[in-house]
Amino acid sequence: MSSFSHKIDEWMKEAEARPESAVMIVKLVARRLRELTERNEELLTENIALQNGTRVEEYQKRIAHLEYQLDLLKRRFGADESLLTKLPTAPPEISTLSLLIYNSYGRILRMEINAEAQTLGHLADETLQNSEQPRLLAVPSNEEVLLLFTSGRVSTCAVDSISMVEIGGEWIWERAALDDEPRAGEFLACIMPVSRLPLSEFFMQVSRRGCVKKTVTSMAQSILGNHYLGKGALQTSDQPFDIALCQKKDRFAFVTIEGKLLGLDVDEPSYSAEDRIKLTASDYVIASFVPHAEESMLFVTQTGKVINREHDSLELSKSALAKGHALIPPSRLEQGVRFIGAASVRETDRIAVLDSQGKLNIHEAGSVTGAGSIEAEGLTGVAVSIGVIRAETWNGANP
Amino acid sequence: MSVKVGIDFGTSNSGVAVYDGARVRLLPVDPKNVLPEVIKTVLYITRDYRSLIGQEAVENYYRDNVNRQRRYVKQWVGEIDVRGADMHYVRDIYVYVDELKPGRLLQYLKTALRKEGYEGTQIFERYYSVGDLAKTYLSLLKQRAEGVLGEPIEAVTLGRPVKFSESPEQDHKAQETLRSAAQAAGFKEVDFELEPIAAALDYEQSIKKPQNVVIFDFGGGTLDIAVMRLGEPNKRKVYASGGVDIAGSDFDRAVIEKRMLSHFGLGQVKLQPEIMSMIHAIPDWMALPEMGTPINKNILDKAIQAGISPVRMKALQGLIYNDLAFTFYNRVETGKIALSNNGATIINLEDKDIALWELYTRHQFETDIYHYLIDVEKVLLDTITKSGLEPGSIDAVVKTGGSSSIPLFTEMLIRIFGQEKVKQSSSFTSVVAGLAIKAKMQG
Repeated sequence: MSSFSHKIDEWMKEAEARPESAVMIVKLVARRLRELTERNEELLTENIALQNGTRVEEYQKRIAHLEYQLDLLKRRFGADESLLTKLPTAPPEISTLSLLIYNSYGRILRMEINAEAQTLGHLADETLQNSEQPRLLAVPSNEEVLLLFTSGRVSTCAVDSISMVEIGGEWIWERAALDDEPRAGEFLACIMPVSRLPLSEFFMQVSRRGCVKKTVTSMAQSILGNHYLGKGALQTSDQPFDIALCQKKDRFAFVTIEGKLLGLDVDEPSYSAEDRIKLTASDYVIASFVPHAEESMLFVTQTGKVINREHDSLELSKSALAKGHALIPPSRLEQGVRFIGAASVRETDRIAVLDSQGKLNIHEAGSVTGAGSIEAEGLTGVAVSIGVIRAETWNGANP
Repeated sequence: MSVKVGIDFGTSNSGVAVYDGARVRLLPVDPKNVLPEVIKTVLYITRDYRSLIGQEAVENYYRDNVNRQRRYVKQWVGEIDVRGADMHYVRDIYVYVDELKPGRLLQYLKTALRKEGYEGTQIFERYYSVGDLAKTYLSLLKQRAEGVLGEPIEAVTLGRPVKFSESPEQDHKAQETLRSAAQAAGFKEVDFELEPIAAALDYEQSIKKPQNVVIFDFGGGTLDIAVMRLGEPNKRKVYASGGVDIAGSDFDRAVIEKRMLSHFGLGQVKLQPEIMSMIHAIPDWMALPEMGTPINKNILDKAIQAGISPVRMKALQGLIYNDLAFTFYNRVETGKIALSNNGATIINLEDKDIALWELYTRHQFETDIYHYLIDVEKVLLDTITKSGLEPGSIDAVVKTGGSSSIPLFTEMLIRIFGQEKVKQSSSFTSVVAGLAIKAKMQG
């Protein structure tokens, strides 16, 4: 207090030495007073929100979300039973496996699948929506997923909150769930499971034109709180395509429709969006994945042909001007061959394939890679989309 | 054919000019700056070792750094041999390194040349000596000047203060470091001129008859004074020159020490020596960035939790960990400059966790730097005495450099020499203009 009085004395001395300064001092103090009054009002409003419980509810929701994540982790990694009994957790749920089919308009079809199912049903609607193929994602039903929109907005939802369609039936997009409708001018870019989020280091985003952006997952709370991750694209005409969770030493790969494969060391890209590949005007990214050791990379063309490559064969690029590794010779491209999907799989995994007739079938990854193509009888048109069903999720979902 | 230019490698600002025998052309080497002929002496080196200077450096620094993510990793930097009477062991030494740091901004490169004990700095995996830093800056400045002129530049007249240092050895070392840096930057021919003499050559262009002139070059790093006979190029004479290590950066420091530290806990935190050392590092532009370690963050977190001046500790944490130091120093400098024209100004810094607001008057500023006035007046009078002239026989006192606009010093000059003799030349360009003239004379 005394130091403030001293300050006022000093201001007075300035006013005495140069009377014209007095007007300026009064103006500056008055402006500050106005700012502080406004700030005071904001704080009072915040105080009211705290007192009437609005903030408490908000924090309770956040705590519930964190508890849910913790619970998922415990179940996933088999935390010790004695430890589990000591902790107040929700009653254990029996997990099933859900297969999601979603389009860029945010429509999501969910079906719960079992180990025997091979022919899942039929999408009796346009497979191409907004010139985009539908995407497939297999995920345990008790998980939570993150929805990334082309504007860079994100939202989350629990898989079991998405309404289900029946296996073996005919589905149309209009009956599909619309969990978080895209806003004006935006589309749903992709869906990603988030249960591994606390164990991951980075979000790796790739855009349609091969722009890559890395974000540390320690920012997840702020990202989810603000519902914004960013587009991860440099050009305004570009848009986000896919997102994956990575560890520090992981590799990240993406594939284009014209069969260009590009691998990256996850440590290497910076934390801002950067171009990583030079693409022709007609080329764009159609799949991305995180290849792991003991897995092989699988690339599928629209005719059902499967190219299988060893994990070790992935060449890592450091240049922004890379052209990518060509999966097929130019002559095959000229013949019209195009890629529709790619993934990193183990032999025990399964692959869901959606064809242009809307038929959705499940294949053994081992037999597909062995045969070099998706079985002819299983494919009634050209393939449009694939999704990997991990063996561990399959086993976990079907004890 | 190559040209010879004059370069003012200033503490805060630099410039390049060329003289064709009739007219000095100041080169617009920083198109992004408000005055394109003036370029900030700042260097930004990115993690991939790209170097940027001037406004571009500042913009990139802000874009990449402010409120960015940080992550500290423990990095092995070496080992220490510990030897006792009957034992010997080797101990590994680790430091915490922010692996997400996108680049490093360096300012006061010229001060580094004369700073005793400062040999260089580690920037990511590379060590940059003081000479390397100056070379990097001069090399980019040369490229920009060549871009403007459209022809190669191979020779330069560089300005230098009257005294880089009070110690003759340190002074010689600083000049030779700068010479080597200029040569490494691609200048085949390098010579020097004292900055106040360069300013005098510029002033000489405007006078018709011979005069005894005092050049009062008061910039960001040093005060340089020259007493000269000007007006007849063949009979030009330097009666005396002098200088002292007092200038704009010292005034900024004084403002921070006396007025800003209380916003970060000075006076409220007393029994926490680690926090006190962080507070006292604030005025030191080299020390403050080094404070951003995880250990210090932990100390501040604990203090906040314990309720030890939490608002100020949060502000200190924000200043250190949100990379706001450069913004903060700029705000202080801007406030100081505003007081040259106004009786009062606001120094403020509003950011996450910081709400610094200080009404600062010219009276307060003059009180804070008054002790420097005594030193400056002494150096000025000593130099006049050394010249053998009386203040009454001085025809003009030419002020140049940013700090020469501070009213306290103008009033001192008026008091000694009389109002009509004190003249203001262009604060930021008279030295470089004079260096260009000198370059032509020697070239």
